Amino acid sequence: MFKNFKVNLLVIVALVMAALFTVVKDHDKIHLGLDLKGGTRLTLEAEPTPDVPQVTPAVMESLQSVIERRVNSLGVGESVVQRAGQNRLIVEIPGVKDPDEAKRRLGRVGKLEFKKLNAQGQWINTGVSGKDFTKADLSTKQSGEWIVQFALNSEGAQKFGKLTSELAPTHAPLGIFFDDQQVSAPVVNEPILDGSGIIEGKFTRESAKDLVDTLNAGALPVDINVIEENTVGPLLGQSSIKQSLFAGLIGLGMVLVFMIAYYRLMGLVAGMALLVYTLLTFAVFMLVGVTFTLAGIAGFILSIGMAVDANILIFERTKEELKAGRSKWKAIEVGFDRAFPSIFDSNTTTLITCLLLWVMGTGSVKGFALTLAIGVALSMFSAITVTRTFLHMINNASGQSLSTPGALGEAV
Amino acid sequence: MSKTQTVQNAGAGAANVKDGPLDVFKYRWLFLGISLVFLLPGLFFIIQNILNPDIQAPVRLGIDFRGGTLLEYGFSKPVVQADVNNIRAVFDQRGYTGSVIQIQEPRAGINKQAVEIGAPSKSASSATPNVEPPAQPSAQGSQQTPAPASPESTKTEGPLASKGVMQSQPVKPVTPANPPIPASNANKPEISTPAAVSTTGESTGASGNAKVATIVSIRSKQLQGQDEVTIRQELSARYGTITLLQKNSIGPALAKELLTNALLALLMAYLLIVGYLTFRFQFDFAVCAMVALVHDTLFLIGMFAMFGALFHTEVDSLFITAVLTVVGFSVHDTIVVFDRIRENNRIYFTKKVPFVKIVNMSINQTLARSINTSLTALLTMLALYFFGGETTKDFVLAIIIGIAAGTYSSIFNASVLLAMWRNRNMPAPAMTTPATV
Repeated sequence: MFKNFKVNLLVIVALVMAALFTVVKDHDKIHLGLDLKGGTRLTLEAEPTPDVPQVTPAVMESLQSVIERRVNSLGVGESVVQRAGQNRLIVEIPGVKDPDEAKRRLGRVGKLEFKKLNAQGQWINTGVSGKDFTKADLSTKQSGEWIVQFALNSEGAQKFGKLTSELAPTHAPLGIFFDDQQVSAPVVNEPILDGSGIIEGKFTRESAKDLVDTLNAGALPVDINVIEENTVGPLLGQSSIKQSLFAGLIGLGMVLVFMIAYYRLMGLVAGMALLVYTLLTFAVFMLVGVTFTLAGIAGFILSIGMAVDANILIFERTKEELKAGRSKWKAIEVGFDRAFPSIFDSNTTTLITCLLLWVMGTGSVKGFALTLAIGVALSMFSAITVTRTFLHMINNASGQSLSTPGALGEAV
Repeated sequence: MSKTQTVQNAGAGAANVKDGPLDVFKYRWLFLGISLVFLLPGLFFIIQNILNPDIQAPVRLGIDFRGGTLLEYGFSKPVVQADVNNIRAVFDQRGYTGSVIQIQEPRAGINKQAVEIGAPSKSASSATPNVEPPAQPSAQGSQQTPAPASPESTKTEGPLASKGVMQSQPVKPVTPANPPIPASNANKPEISTPAAVSTTGESTGASGNAKVATIVSIRSKQLQGQDEVTIRQELSARYGTITLLQKNSIGPALAKELLTNALLALLMAYLLIVGYLTFRFQFDFAVCAMVALVHDTLFLIGMFAMFGALFHTEVDSLFITAVLTVVGFSVHDTIVVFDRIRENNRIYFTKKVPFVKIVNMSINQTLARSINTSLTALLTMLALYFFGGETTKDFVLAIIIGIAAGTYSSIFNASVLLAMWRNRNMPAPAMTTPATV
C-alpha cells in the first residue's frame, strides 16, 4: 500500500482539511468540563425508606426525572443528570451561583400533594398525597393518544373517591403539586371510586412520561444523600485553561525542537507528522464530543510527547540498518518494518491502562483515559503512515529513484 | 523481507558479536543497588506515615480517599499567617476541629481579574417576579382553570368509561401570568422559593466585583448542610469579600469506595499487563517487567510519602491516574527492550551467543530510543509543570517522577533481571562461550 504514496498523501491532505474545518467551525462548541468552566457536580445516592425498601431501576428512573425537573428549575443551561451505578445520580450544573441552595433543593424527598381550589380561587390541601398512590403508568387510548394511568391504595381510593365526587359535578380542577410546584391541574370529569383512573390531555409522550415519573416519585419517596460535591468557581477555571493551553504549546514546541535537532531532516518530517497528529486528535476530540478537563488536557499533552515515540523507534532502527550497510532508502523501509512490533506491543499496554482507568475511574479520570487512548491510537497512524508518506514525498521531490543511496541527503 | 540479510551481516560468529559500549550485566549489582538506595528514603517515609496517627497510610490521603471537605477561598484583602488561627477558630467553633489551613500565593491570572461573583444573575432576577406562591392565584387564573374540557376529548371517553377520567390542563393558566415573563421561562417549572436565590447569593459577596488578594485553602472534616455558607459569611464579616474558588466535599463511605476502586484498578493493571506480556513474550519476561513496575510504583509512592510527610502533599484520584499512566509508560519502555531481546535471541541463539550478551546488546541498541522517548514525554510534562495550572501540578509531578523511574528500571532493572534469571536456568551456552567484552 505504501507504493501508492500519492493516494496516502491525498488521504492525509483530505483528513487535515476536514480536521481544520471541524476545528474552525466548531471551536466554540468545545465541551469544557466543570473544572474549566466552573460549576457544581453532585453525586446523589438514593437510600431505601420504609415505603421503598429497595431502590430498583424503576425507582431510579422516576428519581432521575424528578432531579432533572429540579435542576431545570434552577434555571441554568446545559445541566446533566446521569445514572451511575445502582443507586446513584451524577448531576452537573454549570455556572450555578449558589451550590448550597442547589444541593438543598436537589437533595430533598419529593412531596406529592393534591389540592383543590376554594371559593376564593386559592389552592388548598385536600389531604390526598403521594402516600395514597401506589403507582402510575404510561398508556395510550385506542385513538393513540397518550394517557397516564394511576392506581391508589385502599385508603387512598377512599379519600380520592370522596374528593373526586366533590369536584366532578362542577368539572373543577385537581391540582397536582410536586415540591410545592404545580405540575398539572386536570379537570375531574367523573368520580374516581375504584382506586384507579386515568389522566388525559394533549400529552406528548414526553409530557405524559414526565407526569408518570412525578407521580411515581411522589408514591415512592426515597431518601437522597449528597455523597459528593465538587464546586469550581468560574475564576479558577478560566485561569487554568489558558495556562494549560500555553503549557501545551510550549511542550509541543520543545518536542519539535528536540526532534529536529537530533534527527535533522527526518526529525523535521516527524515534526510535521506531529502537527498533523495534534490537529487530527483535536478534531477527533471535538467529533467524539470529549469533555475537556484539566486532567484530560494533561493526557493530551502527554500523548504529544509520546506520539513521537514510534518515530524515534523507527529512526533509531533506521540508523542501525544504515550501519549494517544498507542504502538509505532501504534502511528507512526496514526501519519501519522492524520497529512495528515494538510500537504495537508498547501501545497496547498503554491502551490497557487507559481501558482500566475508563472503567474504574470517575469524572476527570475518565476524561484523562479517553484523551490518552484516542491520542495513542492516532499517534500510530501519524507516526507510521504520515511520516512514511512525507518521506516518500521528499524522496520523490529529490528526483532520484528509491534505491539510490543518498536519496535523502543527510536525512539520517 | 530482509531477515536473512541481517543475520548474514551480524552473524559473523559469537566471539565477534559486539554488544555495545555499556556492559549492563557486568555492573548489574551496581544498577540494582542504585535502585535500592533510591527506594530506601521512600520506604522510610512510607513506614513513618503508616505509624503516624494523623496519616495511617503509606501516603497522606486526600479527601477523595478519606472523606472531608476541601475549600479554596479567594480573600479580597491580604491574609497573613497570623490570621490562620482566627480562621481555624471559626471552623473549630462549629465542631470542624483539626482543619488544615494553608495560605497560597495568588496565582497568575486570578488576582488580576476582577470577576463578577455572587451578584444575582440576569436569569435569576428576571425569574423572581415570575414566581409567586401558588396559594394566591389571580382571579383571572382561577377563572381559566376550570374551563370545560374540549368536546373533542370528551368524545373519546366511551371505551374507557369504566375508569375515572380527569382532563389534564396546561399549567400556565393556574399560575398567574405576570407581565415580565420571558417566553423561554414560561414553560419551565416554577420556582416556589425565589427568595433563597438572592439572599444566599449575597453571602458570596453581592457587591459584584471581587478581587482576590490571597488564596486560602482549607481541608476539614466534611462540612454539613449550610455550614460552609455560614462559615463563609462569618469570615467575610471580618475579612471582607470572600470568593469561593473551589469546593470539594466527599462523604466517608464514598471515599472508602474510591480508595478500594483505585487499588483494584492498580492490581488489575498489573495482572492484565503480566497476562499480555506472557502472551506476547514468555512468563519470565512478564515477571521481570512486573518487578520493574513494582519498583516504579514503589518509588513514586515513596516520593509522595516523603512529600506528604514534609510538605503536606495529599494524594487524590489523579495520583492513582498518574501511577497507572506511569505503569503503562514504563511497561511500554520495557517492551521495546524485550522486543529487541526476543528478536536478537532468534538471530543469535543458534550462534551460541550467550543470553547475557544478547541482553547487553539489546539494551545498547535501544538505549538512544529509550532515553529520547522519555525525554520528549518529559519535555511536555515539564512544560505543563512549570507553565500549567496549579490544580494538576502534583499530578504532573507524579508523572515526571514515574517516567524517570520507569526509564531507569526498563534499562537497568527489567532486562538485567531477565538475564540473571536465564543465566541461572540455562547455564550451558553461557559457560561454553568466552564472554569477551
